[in-house]
Amino acid sequence: MTTLITKTVTKICIPLIILFSISLLLAGHNNPGGGFIGGVMFASVISLTYVVFGLKNVKSFFNPEWDKWFAFGLLLASMTAFAAIPFNHNFFRSAVELVHLPMFGEIELVSAALFDTGVYFVVIGSLLYIFKTLGEEK
Amino acid sequence: MQSRKDMDPFNAIILAIFFPFVAALFVPFIEKGIKHRIGWFSAAIALISFILIGQVTHTVAEGHAIKQSITWLPSAGIEFGIYADGLSMMIGFIASGIGFIIMGYSNSYMSHKEDLPRYYKYLLLFMGSMIGMVFSSNLIQLFIFWELTSITSFMLIGYWRNKPASIYGATKSLLITVGGGLFMLAGFILLHSITGTFDIPTILQNPEIVQNLKVHPLFLITLILIVIGASAKSAQGPFYIWLPNAMEAPTPVSAFLHSATMVKAGIYLIARMHPIFSGTDAWFILVGGIGIFTMLLAGFLAFRQTDIKAILAYSTISQLAYMMTMYGYTSYHEPGIGVAAATFHLLNHAIFKACLFLVAGIVAHETATRDIRKLGGLRKEMPITFIIASIAALAMAGVPPLNGFLSKEMFYETSLEMGHILGGPFEVLIPAIAVMGGVFTFAYSIKLIDGIFLGKRQDHHLPQHVHEAPLTMLIPAAFLAVLVIFIGISPSTAVYYIIKPATAGILLEEVHLHVALWHGFTTSLMMTIATFLIGIAVYTKYDNIAAWQNRTNERIPWFSMNYVYDKIVDGAKSRAGDFAGCFQPGTIKTYINAMLLLFVILGTIPALMVAATLIPDNLNFNVPAYEVLILGLMIIAAIASAVLKKYLHAIIALSAVGYLVSLVFIYLKAPDLAMTQILVETLTTIIFLLVIVRVPQIFREKISRTTMAKDLVIASAVSLTVLILLLNATHEIVYPLESLSYYFVEKSLPLAGGHNIVNVIIVDFRGYDTLGEISVLCLAALGTYNLISSRGDKQ
Repeated sequence: MTTLITKTVTKICIPLIILFSISLLLAGHNNPGGGFIGGVMFASVISLTYVVFGLKNVKSFFNPEWDKWFAFGLLLASMTAFAAIPFNHNFFRSAVELVHLPMFGEIELVSAALFDTGVYFVVIGSLLYIFKTLGEEK
Repeated sequence: MQSRKDMDPFNAIILAIFFPFVAALFVPFIEKGIKHRIGWFSAAIALISFILIGQVTHTVAEGHAIKQSITWLPSAGIEFGIYADGLSMMIGFIASGIGFIIMGYSNSYMSHKEDLPRYYKYLLLFMGSMIGMVFSSNLIQLFIFWELTSITSFMLIGYWRNKPASIYGATKSLLITVGGGLFMLAGFILLHSITGTFDIPTILQNPEIVQNLKVHPLFLITLILIVIGASAKSAQGPFYIWLPNAMEAPTPVSAFLHSATMVKAGIYLIARMHPIFSGTDAWFILVGGIGIFTMLLAGFLAFRQTDIKAILAYSTISQLAYMMTMYGYTSYHEPGIGVAAATFHLLNHAIFKACLFLVAGIVAHETATRDIRKLGGLRKEMPITFIIASIAALAMAGVPPLNGFLSKEMFYETSLEMGHILGGPFEVLIPAIAVMGGVFTFAYSIKLIDGIFLGKRQDHHLPQHVHEAPLTMLIPAAFLAVLVIFIGISPSTAVYYIIKPATAGILLEEVHLHVALWHGFTTSLMMTIATFLIGIAVYTKYDNIAAWQNRTNERIPWFSMNYVYDKIVDGAKSRAGDFAGCFQPGTIKTYINAMLLLFVILGTIPALMVAATLIPDNLNFNVPAYEVLILGLMIIAAIASAVLKKYLHAIIALSAVGYLVSLVFIYLKAPDLAMTQILVETLTTIIFLLVIVRVPQIFREKISRTTMAKDLVIASAVSLTVLILLLNATHEIVYPLESLSYYFVEKSLPLAGGHNIVNVIIVDFRGYDTLGEISVLCLAALGTYNLISSRGDKQ
């Protein structure tokens, strides 16, 4: 698998796929995409680098603690769900706000997008955590 | 104070509850910056909570209870509400005030090498839960905070994870207190079904509801369930056994949770429920009876203990039983005979017992032992500790002019009154029992001072020269000792600001309390003098009694609650093993077969029940050529994955099926499904490959013909079921109800502001489900880690 061609292609693909994954996350509310699929996309590109360059080599310069990622995601998602309560709304009530920004025109801010970001991090974190655990096993 | 405008009381209480929770989240991060000074940070948080609760003192002392709530689950009648009256104020003050003292003290007590963030995190979480519990206006909310205190207590008892004793103690406390909490929950639900509300103030302020409750057929069982919960939490009756084992926790934790606050939760519940249930025979027999029984039993069993903390644990049980007894004193005409006395004793006990625990911590910290048989003669080396300890222990013994004397006098007075009301033999019996409880307390209190500070050192292995503890440990203890004297000599401040509002909160009426150190030669003073005289007499036989208890225990070991508990827990473990063994033989194939068969049954039965024909007649066989091609390839790949000899090849064939499915999705104009399918397929293939490299590359197993036939039957049944379901999916046969999708298509944009319906369903309409699903995903990740690493351990 680790031919020069795969290595080169992977190097070019990494930033593109990561950007695509983020755009999937952000576009999710109105277009195909969303936190889950964006997260899986991100996880697959990282696993691609693990496979192509070898887990050990990648770990020597890029070794995030994936468990913290999914912990953070779960926290973010549950906080979004709870956030409605202080505003005297029901648990999980979502909010939509249209905001005008000078450069970007009209932007829609949805509290559900924050929840989706939580999902994104949980998916990335847990998939890669499982992945790394299996890969590290002696 | 008066010139400044006080905070909105509701906000102040909400902040006091959630500030510790939020701060606990940040503890690990802040600890990176300020290292071991994290203890001071936590103490500051406790102080802030204390001040915040102080913001509402004036309002409550004037007799206005604060009641406000936010909707939470309106359909279930559950709200997040605050109900602040004198009682909740008092325990809120104890929780945050003692919390502050304890966290300050811990700075010196806990070694800097310990895992400090974990320690302070749980202390803060506990404090928040405790404050949240006492200010809860909703029974369900109260239950949640109640169990949170049990869980944080479990974490803190098991703080030293490598000590089997602390794990045993932690498990025991968890099983008993959380188990009791479940009984309490059942009681709350019954209370809801009788009264129609979970809201505490609504029940309290409606005399009709309370009147109806008292004649309701479910009254007794509701009361029993709630009393079980309270007793388990406050270590009363047969449930007392968890508290002595909880002493495995670091001493500041014992001082905080297991003497001053958490164990008071049960007493709090009894006090809270007092106006609802009291004035009945059942209340007196249950609450008072458990109190009296526990008071005598725990006071007596304290003699046998040799560890300072164990003595303190038994004394805590017996002192809590005083409160139970006093709250239990009730009659139809005068339901709250002992309420003021019990409430006063609750405050006093929190102060002097926390102080005694702090002293125990100091002694253990300086001499490295807590065994009273080895200690002795510390009064010369640790004069300040000696004075503090004597004040606190004498307060516990009920010696004037300390605070314990006042509440003990009130205990005797109320016992006389209760005895008088009951009449007959009880007129003597109840006061006599009260004096007996006092005698035991007096004896073990004296033993504490005598064993630690007087006499000579019994063990030569102990350090010969012990020095006084650091100031950070002495000051908190000294502060509590000063409070003991202050409340004793001049009780009026504490009575006006704390005891009177708290009593009024329980009795729901104005109360006039007069507490003074000297009130003439009353019968209760005679009882106190009698207590001291008998106490001294008993003390001379102290060691004989202890020896007799030990002998009895050796002779009949089964005559103890601990024996019963151990038998139950061990039995439950082995039964659970047998049970799991029936259902989990361990081969994956069995599980998969079971799941598939269930699927076949659940899938076909409804179809057979509703369907006229299993194969609809409007099938469309006009399939384009490229779809036929894809389907053909899929069939080939599927067959290949089943027949190929090498795992690697089989997996690649399997993933080919998956990729082809995504092609179908693209033709059916479902790009997001196709994308998801491709990505998931990729990841599963990689994970599969990772696992497969560790097993032999070729199927070696010989599969017998019968197994093969069985598999064939199952596989065909499953595929047939899927076929039937798919054929009928769009038909009304399987889904006789109206399709849900119209609702989502219509409401997605106006309600949630999104065009992508699938995503809106995931994150908004069905957000609760998604939260559950991502939690499962996290657990799966942790589970994988555990499986892999535990496998490594065995080899």
